[in-house]
Amino acid sequence: MARVGVFTCFCGANIADFVDVPRVVEETRKIREVRCSIEYKYMCSDPGQQMIRDAIVQQRLTSVVVAACSPRMHEKTFRKALSDAGMNPYLLEVANIREHSSWVHQKDKKAATDKAIDLIRMAVAKSIANEQLYEISVPVTKRALVIGGGIAGIQAALDIADARIPVTLVEKSPSIGGRMAQLDETFPTLDCSQCILTPKMVDVASHPYIELIPYSEVIELDGFVGNYKAKIRKKASYVNFANCTGCGACWQKCPVKVPNEYNMNIDKRKAIYTPFPQAVPNKPVIDAAHCTMLLKGKCGICAKVCEKGAIDFKMQDEIIEREIGAVVVATGYDLWDPKPYEEYGVGRYKDIITSLEFERMVSANGPTGGVPQRPSDGKVPKTVVFIKCIGSRDEAKGIEYCSKICCMYTAKHAILLHHKVHDSHAYIFYMDIRAAGKGYEEFVKKAQVDTAATYLRGRVSKIYKKGDKLMVRGEDAQIGQLVEVEADLVVLATAIIAPKDNPNLARLLGISYDKYGYLSEAHPKLRPVETAKAGIFLAGCTQAPKDIPDTVAQASACAAKVCGLFSGDTMKKDPMVSKVNTEFCSGCQNCVTVCPYGAIVTEEIPMGHGSKEMRVVSKVNEGVCQGCGSCVAICRSMAINLSGFTDPQIINEIVAI
Amino acid sequence: MDYTKQIQEIASKLFAEEKIDIFIGYRQNAFDDNQVPILVTVPADVPNLIFTDKSVLNLTNYLKFEHTRNKRVGIVVKGCDSRALNMLLTESQVKRENLYVIGINCTGVLNEKGEKAQNCLECVMPDAVVYDEMIGTPSGKKEYSVNVDVKELAAKGLVERGEYFQEIFENCIRCNACRHSCPLCYCTKCCIDQESAVLYNGSNTPSSAFHALMTWSLHLAGRCVDCRNCEKACPSHLPLHLLHKQNEMVIYENFQQHLAGMEKDDRGAFYKYSMKDPDDFIM
Repeated sequence: MARVGVFTCFCGANIADFVDVPRVVEETRKIREVRCSIEYKYMCSDPGQQMIRDAIVQQRLTSVVVAACSPRMHEKTFRKALSDAGMNPYLLEVANIREHSSWVHQKDKKAATDKAIDLIRMAVAKSIANEQLYEISVPVTKRALVIGGGIAGIQAALDIADARIPVTLVEKSPSIGGRMAQLDETFPTLDCSQCILTPKMVDVASHPYIELIPYSEVIELDGFVGNYKAKIRKKASYVNFANCTGCGACWQKCPVKVPNEYNMNIDKRKAIYTPFPQAVPNKPVIDAAHCTMLLKGKCGICAKVCEKGAIDFKMQDEIIEREIGAVVVATGYDLWDPKPYEEYGVGRYKDIITSLEFERMVSANGPTGGVPQRPSDGKVPKTVVFIKCIGSRDEAKGIEYCSKICCMYTAKHAILLHHKVHDSHAYIFYMDIRAAGKGYEEFVKKAQVDTAATYLRGRVSKIYKKGDKLMVRGEDAQIGQLVEVEADLVVLATAIIAPKDNPNLARLLGISYDKYGYLSEAHPKLRPVETAKAGIFLAGCTQAPKDIPDTVAQASACAAKVCGLFSGDTMKKDPMVSKVNTEFCSGCQNCVTVCPYGAIVTEEIPMGHGSKEMRVVSKVNEGVCQGCGSCVAICRSMAINLSGFTDPQIINEIVAI
Repeated sequence: MDYTKQIQEIASKLFAEEKIDIFIGYRQNAFDDNQVPILVTVPADVPNLIFTDKSVLNLTNYLKFEHTRNKRVGIVVKGCDSRALNMLLTESQVKRENLYVIGINCTGVLNEKGEKAQNCLECVMPDAVVYDEMIGTPSGKKEYSVNVDVKELAAKGLVERGEYFQEIFENCIRCNACRHSCPLCYCTKCCIDQESAVLYNGSNTPSSAFHALMTWSLHLAGRCVDCRNCEKACPSHLPLHLLHKQNEMVIYENFQQHLAGMEKDDRGAFYKYSMKDPDDFIM
């Protein structure tokens, strides 16, 4: 005879305000198998858990039902309480009367109470059919995969590798460095971006525990936490890196000129190129879309000038497979295209540029040698208007969220402009100044006071051309008047957006993403670097817009999570996995096709007792199975059951109400 | 349609070349006009084989039993039967290398009244889709259609339809002949017979019959090839095709005109995922 204990939680006022807990206790006590029904203000607290432990011993309970919050919240807590009292932890059943009842039925206390009683009835019925289950241990592959070689990926890779865990760093472009490598100086201390980044890039290249695979993409990820299998497509670079010395003869002689992405297409690069002089690895690749040799079969100058014979026009894409235990996703961000701002003349006026274009111009290794120039006539601009929130916080044309870093980098740009062109003047149109961060407000003040940048609160309504100047018409809301500024150059602080490929990558990795394409964290406050899929972590702007300090901090947090995951040789795993009853299995292998984890294999067993004829049946690899239940649903002969959610348990639940 | 001679020739050839252990075909029933299956194991029985437009039954049903499972089998299949065979191949129930398939490009079989059978009037694929040797001239894929009964039933509301089925299934005697006659009901232990299946267990009450038949029809949804073996086997003469045909129609309309068993390795609409699948039911 089953002896069930029911423990109902008030959850402070969360449950008690909308569910009549004393009535719940009274009603549930009447259930035949229930030996004790106890209420308490906070069941998860130590005294609450002690009540459970005491009741298990005193009432000789065979299973326990806790009616409280979602099992996602405290199932582990209560399972531990059960094992502390010497009971198998999987004999616990949680009835979620908070999220499923009190919170959603706040207007009708009676209905909420009735539902809570029903939920507990179901849990009691299920708990009677609960079986003792034991944790499974699974071996862990101690190698991390980092996707993206910007500052987030670099930091995560270095931190993990420093803990002597091998890392595979996959970067899409020919060099690591990412967006940060395009920046000139960084707020709020104005240290040179390259100066602080390149040492880290070199560290990545030389670290014994880091395997850098540039110019490649992850195309497949199979498996589960601790035991993933990744397929990486290494794009053909047409340059044999083992022979190449990076001398540069090839790209000096290459006759094909292509817009230079690194410099925001302001100048040209060659068809064989390294993205920038400090690139890591400092080996060129051939841009197959533009190389005349690859397109038309004529030219081959680079191959002629290469003394090492490193050029190989017959090179093919290569698929690299790696077994890994954890993944850090750090794919960074893209910039919003300001084309919808037609009233500003975006696209029509050459002297309207984006912030990153301005950044490249003021950069010492940029296309203009560090001095800003008007794209139209190459003159040095004296009056520059910066407009913030282009696309950000703009539901009509752009996106709703704040891109977080534009206030700061625009202040930086005002300062940099003053440094480079002493007699210049910056006007900044803004909606709000958001400068929360260490030294940030002081930095903005510096822009306002030291460089005397004019901050105008208001939106720009129109930009039009007058002679060779751009007339910027906007509102100064603080004096309530229209203002017009005669500008040489207009710089638009365009919004940060999620990389276009993020949804595809998310699908490939099996993680979720939000409506903007940012990858979703498991919990916005308490699990900000984890994803809902165990063993996959997020670093940097791929999760949400953030600045360099935040990105680095998150990358290091990812590294800590990976190190924690790899701290043991095996991982404990919930025993909620599928089991095949081979007696009933007819071997149709539908379960094999629906299993998203490849956890089901087939084996041959005798057709009958002592029979020599063999038949094929399914078999679950417990280590791989994640307990999703797809196979259970697809199995017509009900030969598969999910431990912890078996048919008798579910049917008991249904019959109970 | 009379291919008796060709089939006898092929069967004797196969036995002579020792390519097969068993040949599954039709023979004349001794006491009426109907034909029944015959499992020929010795060449001497080959003259009993027959194939006319009275060769109604789907013989692939006999591939699921233990005594034919791992044997080398020669079998006669019409269009619909071949689709069932495709399903069996896809679901790993038979091995292709064990089979020698004689595909009939069917022109339709007759019902007991001597008229062309209803499923043949609606037949989409009269040609065999899997075969080693073909008899007859292929006539190609036909337009998909359903009969008036099914259309009328589909037009009814959910409750009304449920009541209709509940009413006609009252005549079910739970003999399970439908299941035994179905080539795709090969489960080692049917879910209906399991102890944990409390909904359909035990008695032949109307409700248990209803649940059992509904479950059965869903287990065949997207797999049923409309051969109507079940209907021919049913001693209560239940219009079982209404269940299957309606499922087939819903699937055809919603899942990119899917029809069961047309291709090898197609497990059916409910057993695979496509980006084009309807998802309007997701809130």
